[in-house]
Amino acid sequence: MRSRWLISAFSRTLTLACSHPVHCRRFSSSATAAAATTAVAVKKVTKSNFEPALEDLRLRVREADFVAIDLEMTGITSAPWRDAFEFDRSDVRYLKVKDSAEKFAVVQFGVCPFRWDGAKGSFIAHPHNFYVFPRKELPVDGPSYEFLCQTTSIDFLAKYQFDFNACIHEGISYLSRAQEAEALQTLSSAYKDEFNNSLYNLEEHVEIPLLRTADLIFTERMKNRFHQWCDELIKSPAKNYRLEENSDSNKMQFQTVFFKMRPAVLLDGFSSHQLKLIRLVLRKHFKDLVYVRSVDENAMWKKIVVYTDSEEDKASLREVQEDLLRNTEARVRSAVGFRHVIDLLTSEEKLIVGHNCFLDIAHIYCKFFGPLPSSMVEFALAVHKNFPRIIDTRHLVNSSHVIQYLMKRSSKSLSSIFSLLCPRISSPSLHVASNSYVKVEVQADETGSSCFNSGAKHEAGYDAFMTGCVFAQACSHLGMKFELHSPSIDFSKNDKIQNYMNLLYPSWNSGTVIDLSTGIENPDSSYKRRYPQIVFSNIVLVWGFPSNIKPKDLKECVCKVFGPDSITLIFFVDSTAALIQFSKEDLVNEFLILKDNLESNDDPISVLHPLAKLLEGGNTHAANYETYRDICGSSISKVLFVDQAEAVGIRWKTKVENGSGETQKFASSSEITPGDNSPAVKQVIGKKNDPKRQSHHQVSCEDILDSLHASKLLFEKQVRSTR
Amino acid sequence: MVASSGKHRWGGAVKQITKSNFSAALQQIKVHIQDADFIAVSSQKTGDLAASSSHRYPWRRILPIDIAETAYLKAKLAAETFELLQFAVCPFRFQGSKVVAFPYNFHLFPRDELNLGMPSYSFSCQTSFLASMAREGFDFNVSIYDGISYLSRAQESIAKERTTPRVYSSSSSPSPSVADSIFIGRIKSRVENWRNACKDPCNMADGSLAKSLRKLILGGEVYGSRPSLSIDVCSDRQVQLALEMVTHISDDLVPLVVPDKSGGAKSVRVVLTSSEEDKNLLMSEIQNLEEEQNLKVRGFREVIDLISSSKKPIIAYNCLHDFTFIHSKFISPLQPSLNEFMCSLRLVFSNIVDVSHLLKEIGPLRKARNLPAALSYLKRQFFVPIDVEIPQLADGNSNNNHGHNVLKLTRVFAKLGILLKIVPDCQTSLGQHTVPIEEYANIFYPISNSLQESEADDVDFHMDNVRKISTDDLVFIWGFREGTSAAELKNHLRQTHSVFSEDIELQLVDKTCAVVVFQKSGSAEALLKEIGSGMTNSTAPSKIISEGLKAAGYEAYKKVCRLGMWEAELADSLDCALSEPSGDLTISSGEDASEIYWSSESMIDLNDL
Repeated sequence: MRSRWLISAFSRTLTLACSHPVHCRRFSSSATAAAATTAVAVKKVTKSNFEPALEDLRLRVREADFVAIDLEMTGITSAPWRDAFEFDRSDVRYLKVKDSAEKFAVVQFGVCPFRWDGAKGSFIAHPHNFYVFPRKELPVDGPSYEFLCQTTSIDFLAKYQFDFNACIHEGISYLSRAQEAEALQTLSSAYKDEFNNSLYNLEEHVEIPLLRTADLIFTERMKNRFHQWCDELIKSPAKNYRLEENSDSNKMQFQTVFFKMRPAVLLDGFSSHQLKLIRLVLRKHFKDLVYVRSVDENAMWKKIVVYTDSEEDKASLREVQEDLLRNTEARVRSAVGFRHVIDLLTSEEKLIVGHNCFLDIAHIYCKFFGPLPSSMVEFALAVHKNFPRIIDTRHLVNSSHVIQYLMKRSSKSLSSIFSLLCPRISSPSLHVASNSYVKVEVQADETGSSCFNSGAKHEAGYDAFMTGCVFAQACSHLGMKFELHSPSIDFSKNDKIQNYMNLLYPSWNSGTVIDLSTGIENPDSSYKRRYPQIVFSNIVLVWGFPSNIKPKDLKECVCKVFGPDSITLIFFVDSTAALIQFSKEDLVNEFLILKDNLESNDDPISVLHPLAKLLEGGNTHAANYETYRDICGSSISKVLFVDQAEAVGIRWKTKVENGSGETQKFASSSEITPGDNSPAVKQVIGKKNDPKRQSHHQVSCEDILDSLHASKLLFEKQVRSTR
Repeated sequence: MVASSGKHRWGGAVKQITKSNFSAALQQIKVHIQDADFIAVSSQKTGDLAASSSHRYPWRRILPIDIAETAYLKAKLAAETFELLQFAVCPFRFQGSKVVAFPYNFHLFPRDELNLGMPSYSFSCQTSFLASMAREGFDFNVSIYDGISYLSRAQESIAKERTTPRVYSSSSSPSPSVADSIFIGRIKSRVENWRNACKDPCNMADGSLAKSLRKLILGGEVYGSRPSLSIDVCSDRQVQLALEMVTHISDDLVPLVVPDKSGGAKSVRVVLTSSEEDKNLLMSEIQNLEEEQNLKVRGFREVIDLISSSKKPIIAYNCLHDFTFIHSKFISPLQPSLNEFMCSLRLVFSNIVDVSHLLKEIGPLRKARNLPAALSYLKRQFFVPIDVEIPQLADGNSNNNHGHNVLKLTRVFAKLGILLKIVPDCQTSLGQHTVPIEEYANIFYPISNSLQESEADDVDFHMDNVRKISTDDLVFIWGFREGTSAAELKNHLRQTHSVFSEDIELQLVDKTCAVVVFQKSGSAEALLKEIGSGMTNSTAPSKIISEGLKAAGYEAYKKVCRLGMWEAELADSLDCALSEPSGDLTISSGEDASEIYWSSESMIDLNDL
């Protein structure tokens, strides 16, 4: 009875998980929706007002006691089966967060510095709402060349009137620290090459390797045209001369412009091979023409040929080129864009406050620092180095008894916590008698009032503001007296707050808390688990079974073979894949070996075997939990788990891990050369061919064959005994 | 208005369609499609792997080394990765010396209207694409807030199973078991009780309290204005039984199956009708409801279905690319091979004309790389007196000019059609022979440049040094140091093996992999054989292998594309393909060699392609 109840509960979680791509932290009850409509002046920052806003923010952050942040992304999970499950092992959970941060883009970034004003007895908040878009601003690899959008998330943003035009037309771009370094290196070396080519190799004998007639004709034509152009310049230097050619298709390729007071030709519409030829022609035949490259407004290389009237002029052109290099460096600095805000937050070492912010932090790391580390511990420590103090208000609110009492177990969404804890701010019209509420004042500077919007829920700037208010109020409930701390508050010195410092939920349903300062993950005492203890070594991953198999059928099927108590849990990852937890670790291998055995034999026993129902269709795969992790670690994301496993390149059907850690993979006989009657054991060779390992494998293959026969007998016995 | 050329004169000429005016537009376009000779289509996507903007994965673009099959697989990848944001349709007909056109531009967004995770769970966007659309003044809010959603035919059939309450046709069933008869007995008495209570005229006089009490006890509900009753079922068998039972009780009961999320039946709803006419009325109501639901489900696909059923020739540019999108978004998931795809596509659209193919019919235009280039060439070189007339004008104040590519396409086709005598020219006499359009239909040319790219390739016309070579003479080489130039690699290879001293051409496909073209047939095969034997037989260590260089024939590349090993770098993909258990891929098989058009331009350079 008990287990039946369990299964029905799981199937319910399955449908839940499928129907709501997790916005869990953002879901709010409709009752509180109205409360969040209070006008709060949130500063809207786009490309056009970024520079002054950044300078202003520097000051605000420097003065601040803490800074609240919030992010809006284009999606959360790249496939339904990548949702965070309570069932996930820590490394799998991190892989899912990593996948999300790597695939989706940040479109809005809310930053809200809070400063305690002792004289007013109130916090002063400055909510900022930055529109961010990964634009290409340099002719080298930019922030993100491609990003994913989850349809429901985009629709969700649209529901809350997210301004996609503002984001895409005017969003602020960025470069991560790693990208900035790379861009500087690439660009400066490109310039260095040009100096050398255009100035110093003149005396050197230049040979143009002309292999093709087309090249020959082209170089001749270019030579003539440049000669003609130079002649015309000398004849009438004052006149703005245009090169004319008969064919108008060529006209657009040759255009006279001015470069630093010198006449020049803008080379437009040539292929890079042609440009190479042009440079060779210039070096060989024209001592007074210099090839210069600079970055134009559209982040493309602008190529020009400049006329110099003397050697001195040419030398001075070198200075010009150095100037160009400096300009380019400035361009890179400006392309760093929004990352200046992140650099500001890290350099000021202020306390960062976020609500359920683990994914936010992963995005910040991935977008602004560099590629995400491969393990959770490395990630935690690397984050800690940059942000020494982070507080997750969701964890704070959940684990403090005082606040839980006040919350009366109501919804956990940010906006409902906000309206419960901070009724004075969320709805000032209500007269709340108590004096225990922390006062927060929003300051909008008078200049450029047009860029202030009244905040709304699910707008990053306003969400950051709410998070900060919740934090301040929670501190007050924990017994912090802000008045005593004036002029500045050191939260890390407070014993009560210290208990929550750097503790984050890795996901909303992980049931654990990670300490960023140590990288250690511990169970969260306040979390109520819905599932019994999970033992990952007892888990089998099954996928590709017939679509009519529901959790109930799967359990029935397996229990018929291994006994009614053999299964402790069945969890459907999606409609095509399930995790089965056995009561004993041995059963994992027994199941896998039996499955392979049934598939390789075509006798009546195999067909009538209770497990045969699961294997119908011939596409049922099985492996242990490690395979699940490997599949989650892949950068591919197919909607269905079955397709994902195939795309990842799994060609075997069953993977059995024996005691010595040796892995065997079995393919069905149909995939092996036909006519092979022996049980089909196919060894899948890794990326590198190593003959030594191969022979080693062959020995263990035979071992496996023996154990196959042994286990077959065993299973038949077992089947008989269960009947 | 007679618009001769130029964007400004076409301002507001294309009717912009969103969710709000979709059903009205659908009626209009239906008529226009019926009257049309041809239908031009073009679309705006969120990204494109074939475009030269895809700097990051150069080898995934459609390259000169691609045969039709691999080009299709690359187009398939793009169609599965990206999303359509706009789809322009322009039915037009020739009338004397002018073309009468009715351009529409539909804004699309794959919104999950039915909450089923369809039409698409997620999609990719290329930032350069979005940025260039933004420069053209694209309104993303309109598309996302008000874009029309859609489902493909395949998705519709899945959705139908899951959403609409259906009238089940009852069929004979095996003899009932004990459990079945208990179920029937229980349900039967319940339905009869409820029916009698509803029919009982004296109940009508009862007060509201009695009514609600009865409702509570009998479990009756209302379906529209009619009384109804829900029967919970837990298997398909029970659905069947309940349906049979209900039809046995009385003719005035109509059973409907209410499905749950996963498509299984949740309950059977029995609706009581008052008379035969009332029953018919109910049935037609349900029919209407279903049609309304269908429109909601199919959304924009209704337009595709109209085009498909009209059987009119469809005019498009870069068809392989556009129709992989159309097939995967509106018909069904893409087939694993080009042949299957073409067969499936033919069943839906019998007559597709690729303008890029028509351009190839006119000598010098063969090298036109995009529509504007082709248009300006046609204007310069030929006198084709043809005007495009757009009788219906969209709102005068609308200044957005989206979907104009479809008009450009119409113009180019009109001119080409007259030049190639596909359509009768007004000056030629009536009886003159015209070439049937079918001669040009359904031939797709893969091209690596797409229409809507605004950072248009600045090269209008391409260098003409293309020749045919067999894929048997191609060898992929990888495992060299990143950043090695083609010339360096060529020199290096010359030192490692004598075969490279022959006349070879070498080009980089991406940073990690190069392709070598052997002039002498058989050289490639010999080299691969030697390397193949060297890999397993350690007594003959070739210098190539000892330096970590790897080589494979065209089969390996085909396999990479076929199995979808779209790694960031081609070298990694080829490594994957070689580590696959089946078959020895180092040797290319001579049987199914194909020919490619090899251009001697340096491949790694993006502007050259």
